[in-house]
Parts: sequence; C-alpha cells; structure tokens
Amino acid sequence: MAEKLDVKQGTLALMILKTLDVLGPLHGYGVARRIEETSKNRLTLNYGTLYPALLKLEQEGFIVAEWRQSENNRRAKFYSLTAAGRKQLARETREWNQTADLIAAFLTPRRGGETS
Amino acid sequence: MRYLRALLARIAGVFTKNGADDDLREELAAHLEMEIAENVRRGMHPDAARRKAMLSAGGLTQAAEAVREQRGLPWIESVVADVRYALRSLRHSRSFTAVVVLTLALGIGANTAIFTVVRAVLLKSLPHRDGDRLVYLRHSVDGPGGRNVLFSVPEVHDFREGAKTLAGIAEYSPWQVTLQEKSAAVRISVGLVTGNFFDVMGLSPVLGRLTRPSDDGPGVPAVMVLTHEFWIRHFGGDSSIVGKPLKLDVGSVTVIGVLQPAPTFPDRMDAMSNMVVSPHHLSAQMVQGRSHRMTEMVARLAPQSSVEQARTEVAAVYARMQRDYKEAYDPASHYRVAVVPFKEAIGERARLTLWMLMAAAAFVLIISAANVVNLTLMRGVRREPELVVRAALGAGVARLRRLLLVENLVLTLAGAVLGVLIAIGGVRLLVSFAERYSPRANEIHLDVTTLGFTLALSVAVALLLSFVATLPQEGGFASWMAAGARRVSGTVRRQRLQRGLVVAQIAVSVVLLAGAGLLTRTMIELADVNTGLRTEEVLTLPVQLLQFGDGDFKRIMAADAGAKEGYDRMMGEVRALPGVVAVGLGSTPPLRGSDIGFAVKAEGKTVAVGEPLPRADMRTADPNYFRAAGIPLLKGRAFAATDRFGAGRVVIINQTLADKLFPGEDPIDKRVAWTGDVLRFTPFSPDWRTVVGVVGNTRDGGLDAEPPPAMFMPFAQELALGGVLVIRADSNAAALATAATRIARRIAPTVPIEHVWTVAQIKDQSVAPRRLNAELISLFGSLALIIATVGIAGVLAFSVSARTSEIGIRMSLGADRGRVQRMILGEGGVLLTIGLALGVAGAYFATGVLRGLLFGVAPRDPITFVGVAVLMAAIGIIACWIPALRAARIDPAVAMRAT
Repeated sequence: MAEKLDVKQGTLALMILKTLDVLGPLHGYGVARRIEETSKNRLTLNYGTLYPALLKLEQEGFIVAEWRQSENNRRAKFYSLTAAGRKQLARETREWNQTADLIAAFLTPRRGGETS
Repeated sequence: MRYLRALLARIAGVFTKNGADDDLREELAAHLEMEIAENVRRGMHPDAARRKAMLSAGGLTQAAEAVREQRGLPWIESVVADVRYALRSLRHSRSFTAVVVLTLALGIGANTAIFTVVRAVLLKSLPHRDGDRLVYLRHSVDGPGGRNVLFSVPEVHDFREGAKTLAGIAEYSPWQVTLQEKSAAVRISVGLVTGNFFDVMGLSPVLGRLTRPSDDGPGVPAVMVLTHEFWIRHFGGDSSIVGKPLKLDVGSVTVIGVLQPAPTFPDRMDAMSNMVVSPHHLSAQMVQGRSHRMTEMVARLAPQSSVEQARTEVAAVYARMQRDYKEAYDPASHYRVAVVPFKEAIGERARLTLWMLMAAAAFVLIISAANVVNLTLMRGVRREPELVVRAALGAGVARLRRLLLVENLVLTLAGAVLGVLIAIGGVRLLVSFAERYSPRANEIHLDVTTLGFTLALSVAVALLLSFVATLPQEGGFASWMAAGARRVSGTVRRQRLQRGLVVAQIAVSVVLLAGAGLLTRTMIELADVNTGLRTEEVLTLPVQLLQFGDGDFKRIMAADAGAKEGYDRMMGEVRALPGVVAVGLGSTPPLRGSDIGFAVKAEGKTVAVGEPLPRADMRTADPNYFRAAGIPLLKGRAFAATDRFGAGRVVIINQTLADKLFPGEDPIDKRVAWTGDVLRFTPFSPDWRTVVGVVGNTRDGGLDAEPPPAMFMPFAQELALGGVLVIRADSNAAALATAATRIARRIAPTVPIEHVWTVAQIKDQSVAPRRLNAELISLFGSLALIIATVGIAGVLAFSVSARTSEIGIRMSLGADRGRVQRMILGEGGVLLTIGLALGVAGAYFATGVLRGLLFGVAPRDPITFVGVAVLMAAIGIIACWIPALRAARIDPAVAMRAT
C-alpha cells in the first residue's frame, strides 16, 4: 500500500477548485472521492479537513453551495465554482507550477559537480 | 477584497449559528450515507460498510467543531463568552463591583479632567503654522513692574537687522480703545501690528484677509482684524461684518477679516489693527525714542537655527545696543532680554499649578488603584476554589489569566465610562479656572487623544489587576485541590503585597493632605492680610471720561476741563444716594496696581552707583479719595480743593516710598520728582513737587505681594488720568452699584462702564486662583483619605475573616476579647505608623515644589505636617477599630466549628 500523506495546507484548496472545475457542481462526498482517487488513495480526507476548507472557499467567494437532488435522488449540498473561483484556480495553478519547478530544479541532483 | 469578504462572512457566521449547524449536520449525514451506499455497492455488508465509512470520516463531532471554528470568529466568540461570564460573576458580588467601579471612576475621572487641561494648555502644539519655531522675547529690568518692560521701535529695528537666527519679527503694541456702538460703548484690547505680523506668526484668516506690509505706514486706510473669540462673542459670528466700518473713539476702522482661533499673549486681544489707527505709534517719539517701549516681540526662528543659537545672537546684539546707547539702559536696573519658546511663554503662568494638579490627580489614581488591587486580591482568595476547579477541568494558566483580564477590563472600562462623565463635569469647572492662567483655555475640550489617554489608563490598570493575582500553576493542582476551599489565608507574598499597598495608600494620602493643608493655610494667611484699608464697604466705579488713546496731547488738554466737570456732576449725584458716606475720585481703584509708574528722585539725594532708582506707581487722588477708600493719612495733610492747575505742585506718597526716599526722616515739605528719559513721551512734568502728606500702604499688587511704592498727584492738578469713583457706604456697598452705574451712564453715555466692584470683591478676585488651588487639592486630599480609609478597614477586615479560626483557637486557649482587639489594632497600627512615617518623609521632599504657590507659610511648615499626621492617624485608628471590634466579637465555639 502506498504511503499515506497528509494534505498540505493550501494545496487542498487548489485540489478542490480543480476538482470542481473538471467535474462541475459536486457534493462534499464527490469531492473527497475524486481527490482520493486522483491521488491513488495516497491522500485521505476526513470530514474535519474537507468541510472547513469548503467553508473557507465559500467565505472567500470562490465557490457557492446549493442544496440539490443528487444522481441517486438523495438531497446533498452541491458546490460549484464562481467566476472569482475560476480566476483563483488559474492563478494558484500558475503559482504552484512555478513553485514546483523551482523546488524540482533545486532538489534535482546535479551531475558533473560544480561545472554545470 | 478577498480577506475582507471572508471576514464579513465570518462575522455573519457568528450570528447565524443555529441554522448553519442544522445545515452542517445534514450535509455530513448525507456524506456518510453516500459513503455507506458506495461501500455496500462494492459488496460490503451494511454493518461493515457503515463502520468503514465512520472510520474514514474521522469523527463527526470533531469535524463539526472544525467547521464551526472556520465559520465564525472563535477568538471573539470566546471573549464574548468571557465577558458574559465576567458580567455574571460581577453581578454576584455587587458591592465589590460598585466599590471598584466608583473608586476607579474617581481616579480616572480626576486624571482625565486634569490631563485634558494640561494637554490643551501646555502640551498641544500651537495652532500657529510651525508654532514650535516661534520664540517670545522678554525685556526685563529689576524692581517692581520690571518683569516685562517691552521694546522700543529702534530696539526692534536693531534686532531685525542684527539677529540672523530670527527669520522674522512680529511686533505688536497692546492698546485699549473704545468701540462705540448704538446700544453701548465697550472697551476692547487691540494689538497694533505691523504688516508682517500674521505672516511671521503663521496665522490665517477664517474670513476676509489679514494685514499685510501695504497696510504699514501713514496715509493708508485704518483696518481691523477681529480675533475669532471676539468675533463670536461680540458679533455672534456674523460673517457680514467683514467690510463694515467700526466706530472707535480714535476714529473709524474697516473690518477686513477674522483671524483663525489662536491664543493671544501676554494679554487678551480682541482685534488687531494697523499702526495708522494711532498717530502716536507713527510719531517721531515712538519711532525714534529708544526708551519709549510699547512693543511686544515674537520672532520666528530661521531654518536650521536653534533657540540656543538665537539666544546667543540676541544677547550679542543686545550687548551692542547697550554699549552704543548708554543713556537708554540704566546699568543699575540690569536690563536683559530672554528668548523663550512661544509655547512655553504662553504656558508659563499655568505650568506649576497644572503640574501640581496633575501630580495630585495621579496620586489619587495610585491610591484608588491600590485599593482596587487589594479588593481584587481578597476577591481572588475567595475565588481560589473556583479557579482550581477550572484549572482541573483543563483551563491553562493563559486561559485563566485571560478570564481575569476580561473581568478586570469590564471593571476598569465601566470605571472609565463613569470617570469620563465625571471628567466632563470637571473639565467645565476647570476651564473657568484655567482662564485665569492661560490664553489657551478655550482650547480645552475632551477629544480623541484625551479619551485615548483614559482608555490606555484603564487598560493599564486592568493589566496590573490581572497580573497581581496568583493563579493555580500547571502541575500544582494537587496541592491546590488538597488545600481546597478552606485555604483562604492567602500566601505570605500576597499578604505582604496587601500590606505594602495599604502603607503606600497612607503615605500618598499624607503627601496629598500635606499639600492641601499648606494651600489651605495659605488661604487663611491671605484672609488675615491687612489690606491697608480701614473698611471694605467701598464701591469702585471706573469711568474714564478722558481718552488718551490717540496720544494727541492738544486734543486731550482741550477735553480735560469737560471731563472734570463731568466727574463733578457725577460725584454730586452719587453723594445724594441714600447710604453713601463719602465719594472720592482717583486714577485707580484701591488694591489695584496702576498701569503707569516711573522712576522717582528726591531733592538733595543721590543714588549710590549700582543702585537702581526707586520706582513708584503713578496715581492721582482728589481731596476725598483717601477718606472714601479708607486709606489712613499718616502724616501731613490730604489734598485740598486748592491743589489744582496753576497752584504749587504737591504730592502725597505712601509709607513704602517714604521709607525708600527718606529713611528715618520726615518727608513732609521735602521735594520729589518723576525722572527718566521716557517722561518726554508723556504729559507728566519732571518738575519738583512738594510732599504734603504720607498715607498708609495698601496691597495694590495683590494680597500676596508687598505693597508697591506709590506717589499720588492731585487729580485736579494733572490731566484727568484714569478715573474711578470711590464710594464709601455706611453698610452694604454692593447695593449701591446699580444706582451709581445708572448715574454714570446717564452723564457719560458713550463711555464703557465695566468692572464695578466693591473692595471686598477686588480682594476676593486677587485670591480666587489660590482658593481654587486650595479647594481642588483639598478635594483630592479628601478623596485620597476616604479611599485610603476604606483600604485599611478592608484589608484588616479581610485579615480578620481569614484568621477567624486562628482567633477562635487563641480565644479558646485563654485570650480574652481585649487581647484579640489589641492584636488586630496592633496589626493596623504598624501599617499606619509605617505609612505615616513614609508619608511625612515624602511630603518633606514633595512640598518643596509648592513654594511658588504658598503665602505666609513655609513649604515644610511643622504645624501643617503635625496636623495632617494627627488627622491621618485619627482616621486610620477609627478604620482599624471596626475590624478589631469584629474580631473581638468572634465566638470561639462557632469559629472553630466552622473550620
């Protein structure tokens, strides 16, 4: 079994936004599933992590929530991206990529010693 | 934007808690259901599916809690809870709350009020642009009336040329004119200013314009700028006044503008005019006479110049002047110029008094804070069990500290609110008080800064209160729990602290009471001062019929006879009023200083080199003046009707001047004369005059000053100088005021009549500022005494209640009631003695600063010190007696069973 990771602060928000961007309006359970699946079950999200993050994004105006019937006729709270949320997603994606590149460049072992 | 939005959402979250909680529960339940359904779909047994789902959820309650924290503002919510708790717990100890809030309110209120005054009068920067760059130049000589002799136009000119550290010099000549209006005439103070005055002072108009250099010199229209205060007071803030002409006794002026609110110094100014209003100010005498000093100087420091540099340079320029014009600077008079920051000069008169009041208020706050600390400590002891339980249930030290802090903040802020209410009343009272000391009194009001001061003060007190209390330490619960509710005696450290506070309260009270005692004794001494007058049933009615305003002596001479005739008619009618015993006429009321005075010489006497020439107040009197005023004639004769123009010049001198000019000789028939260069600019003759009489001294410079030397000339032998009717009544002089004023108004309808006062009132006014000092400090002293008394009694009572079981044991072992009572009394007595000793020692050092405010009593007056100590001891003993009696009444059986 792959090593379980804790969700890093700040990255969860990005994952949620991306999930909603890809899958459209979705309930908390769906979001959790999707994140766990995407991470090949290396990440686990308990409610105490997920729901405060959803609420925070809602407070910041990046997502909105609405009660709806789910696909199997159950009432659930569906979250969807707002225009601001889309913008935020683009910005955070860009920033994340830059950071990741930087860190990767930094950590990559360099061959040839000092010369390169 | 994003954070603001999130914050608003969270604030909203605080208030929509209930609905959101249901919503959340439903959402979490739905999530769980979906997960179970999914697990079942994957082939799990429903029970296992549920278990697995629950496991992955990670605790529904914790999740709900985490969301709740994100939803609202948990920190604020818990503070709200703390406040609610604090209010509840304070409601349970009402008397504690009442005493603490009231005590703090008194301390905070007194400090807020006094600080408001101190800030406005001494600390706040001046309304002038870069007011900190303004300096006031003061020209002084030795001797009475020499503190501020002003500058002459040539002197100002020399400073302007010579002192490069002064970027600009604003000059102004204080002047009195009469404003004639349809309804009445009023006397107003006008500053004659040069065109650059407002520019140098850094002042702007609120309406119209101010004077400028084109308003200087002769042949320009006469203009007037109203001060803001006068504009409001006299014209009701009517903006249509600008451009209108005003009729003055010296001619007409046009109002060109209204000045921004700004203090005037050294005296009140109602308006400013250009020099053209007064021909005298443009005359050769004024412009060229080096000793003709009528001008005040305020200068603006040049950029990069310091006050110190300006001082050095001004001294150098002045030394050159003294060398070049020896005749204008009598070396014996020690002519000197001081350069003082303008703000300091304005605050000078108020400084000592205000800092004394600030110190007294601070003392009151110290005492009240000490009391509150003591009360809090005692309450803390009673609350120990509660705190222990809270600690045991998981509240950390920080949490408990915060709880206490919130509670103390509630207390001190309540005290502050009440204190501000007290301060609002106090400030109103203090404004009228400060008006006597400072031209900035109208700047006094409670504003954001002073309220900030109050807030800071209350928070500081709350912090102090929260940190003196000992809290159950983490890990120390066991011992606390074991000691449990019974352990109310407190630690040794706490007891020491309490006792220390009581000692401090007593000591500080003694210092305050000593100050109050000294100031009160000053009042008593002043009341006993012999004014030199035989009676106080005298009404003085100033009515100046001859105006000297424009300095045109020819016109003045021509008007003189008419004025004197007017006085004769007035006196004739006043004399006919019922109750009038005598009516006299003179230049100046008794017990008031004369505005003019000159050097005096005696025939055949030379003044030793290095001795200044004696100076005397110039006064005039008619034949009845001395009798009417009750001034005793010691030698020779009073003036007679024959002492008039054309007859031989005669004078009457007072005892002080007689002693100065003719020590050990009979001055009658000796000859004296006014002397000095400056006489050239006056209508007064330097001729010899024969002394015909000597009168007793009167306290013309105020009750607290030595009587100044005075020389009286016959009213009829000079121009009608000043003009005051002195009316002696057989009983109630004040009752004559209305009738006498009516007569004066009828005969002289265009002359302003103000300041109609009895001698008793004049006397009272001269001591009024000191009386207010004494009253305020006594008020603070009594407050301190009351608070300290409550403090001693409280601490002892607490000690008794904490030692109930111990006393019970002592009594059952044979100690009788008397012994127990003595024990408690002794405990209080020790505190009282130490406090008294420290207090007297403190007062010994502290009262030295009061020297300038005292009269007739030394700052370390032993009688006052002993009196204060006895008073404090007596009240302290009473305060100890009550708890001691209570201790003696303890029933040993009950006390021991209770433990």
